[in-house]
Amino acid sequence: MKCDKFIEALGQRVKILEVTRQYEDQVTALVELNDLPEAVRFLYYDMGGYLSTMIPNDERSINKHYALYYALSMEGGKMFEGDEIAQDEKCFVTVKVLISPESLVFPSVTPLVPACVWYEREAYDMFGLIAEGLPDKRRLVLSDDWPDNLFPLRKDAMDYRYRPDMKEHYMEPEYDFLRPEGSGMIDVPLGPLHITADEPGHFRLYCDGDTIIDADYRLFYQHRGMEKLAENRMNYDQMGYLAERVCGICGYAHAIACIEAAEKAINLEIPARAQAIRIVCSEIERLHSHLLNIGLACEVTGNYNAFMHIFRIREYSMKLAELVTGGRKTYGNVVMGGLRRDMTGHEIKESLRILHIIETQVEEVWDAVMDDQRQMKRWKGVGILDKQVARDFSPVGPNIRGSGIKRDTRYDHPYDFFKQVKFDVAVVEGGDVFAREMVRYMELKSSVSIIRQCFELMPQTAIIVDPKFHVKPENYSLAYVEAPRGENVHWIMQGSAQKVYRWRCRAATYNNWPSLRFQFRGNTIADAALIVCSLDPCYSCTERVTVVDVRSKKSKILTHNDLKAFSQTLKNSPMKDLK
Amino acid sequence: MMKLLDISKKYGEITHKYPFEPYKVAENFRGKPAYIYDLCIGCAACGVACPSNAITVQLNENKSKLIWEFDCGRCIFCGRCDEVCPTGAIKLSEEFELAVKFDKSAMIQRGELEVQCCSECGKPFSAKRLVKYSLECLSKANLGEKRLEEAKSYVNVCPTCKKTATVANFTAGKEMVIE
Repeated sequence: MKCDKFIEALGQRVKILEVTRQYEDQVTALVELNDLPEAVRFLYYDMGGYLSTMIPNDERSINKHYALYYALSMEGGKMFEGDEIAQDEKCFVTVKVLISPESLVFPSVTPLVPACVWYEREAYDMFGLIAEGLPDKRRLVLSDDWPDNLFPLRKDAMDYRYRPDMKEHYMEPEYDFLRPEGSGMIDVPLGPLHITADEPGHFRLYCDGDTIIDADYRLFYQHRGMEKLAENRMNYDQMGYLAERVCGICGYAHAIACIEAAEKAINLEIPARAQAIRIVCSEIERLHSHLLNIGLACEVTGNYNAFMHIFRIREYSMKLAELVTGGRKTYGNVVMGGLRRDMTGHEIKESLRILHIIETQVEEVWDAVMDDQRQMKRWKGVGILDKQVARDFSPVGPNIRGSGIKRDTRYDHPYDFFKQVKFDVAVVEGGDVFAREMVRYMELKSSVSIIRQCFELMPQTAIIVDPKFHVKPENYSLAYVEAPRGENVHWIMQGSAQKVYRWRCRAATYNNWPSLRFQFRGNTIADAALIVCSLDPCYSCTERVTVVDVRSKKSKILTHNDLKAFSQTLKNSPMKDLK
Repeated sequence: MMKLLDISKKYGEITHKYPFEPYKVAENFRGKPAYIYDLCIGCAACGVACPSNAITVQLNENKSKLIWEFDCGRCIFCGRCDEVCPTGAIKLSEEFELAVKFDKSAMIQRGELEVQCCSECGKPFSAKRLVKYSLECLSKANLGEKRLEEAKSYVNVCPTCKKTATVANFTAGKEMVIE
């Protein structure tokens, strides 16, 4: 069976207490607490794994312990040609440990595998589990004025409707940004809203003149507690719709991942036609998401003309979604056991017509953008994500494929109809903004071809199986979907009464943030917004920026328009009168 | 740069004059659920199916009317209500201009239905239309004359009374008949 090879190798390194299989490609190995860092490091670096997600869980009502699940996607390091595991051996191996509720301490994996840093910080916020040896112990998800001893995802912590009182804004504790040492550094806060995405996130850039030396950021201003909400009152009928609202752009990928996690935990196979239509809808989503991002990458650099053209084409993809699903953004057709809405012959014919328009017009505009030397200068060599940093931090999506690493869930762990569909994984060397946008352009073309193949190959079967199913409490399973921004991983442990016990939803961008710091280094402030934008995070550019010169204690507040104008024109540096 | 201008020339003006001329949506667009009061039987299937609790079906305070209420502010336009409605009283429309100015009550739609009181205990338990609808369904169900007569008497009994009557009859050794 799949995975056995890895479990055997792991068994020679550390003592495995128990092995359980969740799905044909998913195995969990329970190890002793002290062996945890070594077990994860061994699977990550020696066996060629990438960290997909880490799930802390309160299992006191099941086995009187807290549990941690480190889910690793075993696919090979992919650092050089041939450094890859054979296609039929790729799988997910989860390392599980139990933590006693008296001590609440576990040894941190981060010093050995940097990719774990955010997950372990979150484990403290949500469950109060302390990672011993974690270099960065600040809060990640919850606000700084959150009560100290309230850990919201513990089962006995709080009702999901409860909100702790907020502190007055002047009482709020300062967030402690990591500051590099040395003199003459200038702090540039970028935020509370990002300049192009209009979503909250605060970046602190440490600059020497115009050059960024280091950066730190504070996010999660919009944490909505969806996991808690789902655990408390949702059933599987409702969860698909909630998951679809995790993200404003790649929501459909979340809906599929969430429902498939529940389906996999009870081994429910859905009809081939439903699988194909799920793929079609998620590829339509990829079309509009990538067009959005390429458009914004032009807009941030001041190329409004190209931005307008790309958005004109994007409108076709929105129309396509409206035609196929009845909604421009929320498709709302995923339910346990299949889909709610079939496609008619007329819809398929009309879709093919729209796809043709998108394909030809994207090519035209892309050619024009590529010819524009000024645009290329802004993109090339900016925000480089080093291959080794990418290996250490497990980023996903176009972000890692732009660094020459061939990581694509559709290819590594083909789900649904991807077993039948052929496509090339877009990989570009270079790691700069240009490489990432190039990956997106290549994926636009492959998406169009995937949709066409699905239309051709999809069989005439039912689109839903008998929805009478019984979930088994304490079963759990992973589901993974390649969203436009990268792999979305959902983990569901089922509870009694057709409810979820724990839902862990890991959005693609979560894995991309920790390595952003390295992408900032050595670039100029004017490129900061572009670099953030090229990650395609779920948001766009800054509301206002304060520039502080530490030595002269001078400060200056830039408006949204000042910064945007500087990003786009590169004239009149806001730093000028501070020096 | 010039290439982009060429493209602009090629495709011309594509901006819709939207607020000044109507915007046409796709054929199966999922817009605001439209409610047809005359067809509603108050069976509450939509209320049960609604994942976001936008639709509620409840008795009013003095239990004289069954109130069907739809809050558009909570609606997520999934169309489950449309799927489950047995009479087609609720259908997704093509309406998408749903913004209201200040007055949020404009988003709420209500329908009041006559209640059916139990012939045994006199308490309200269902809508009159639902009882009528059940009888219609039964009359089309190819039942015997006698059976249909029987049904006519027990559709007017509330579930609680049915339960107690059944228990009482069983313990008395009688067959299941409600007088």
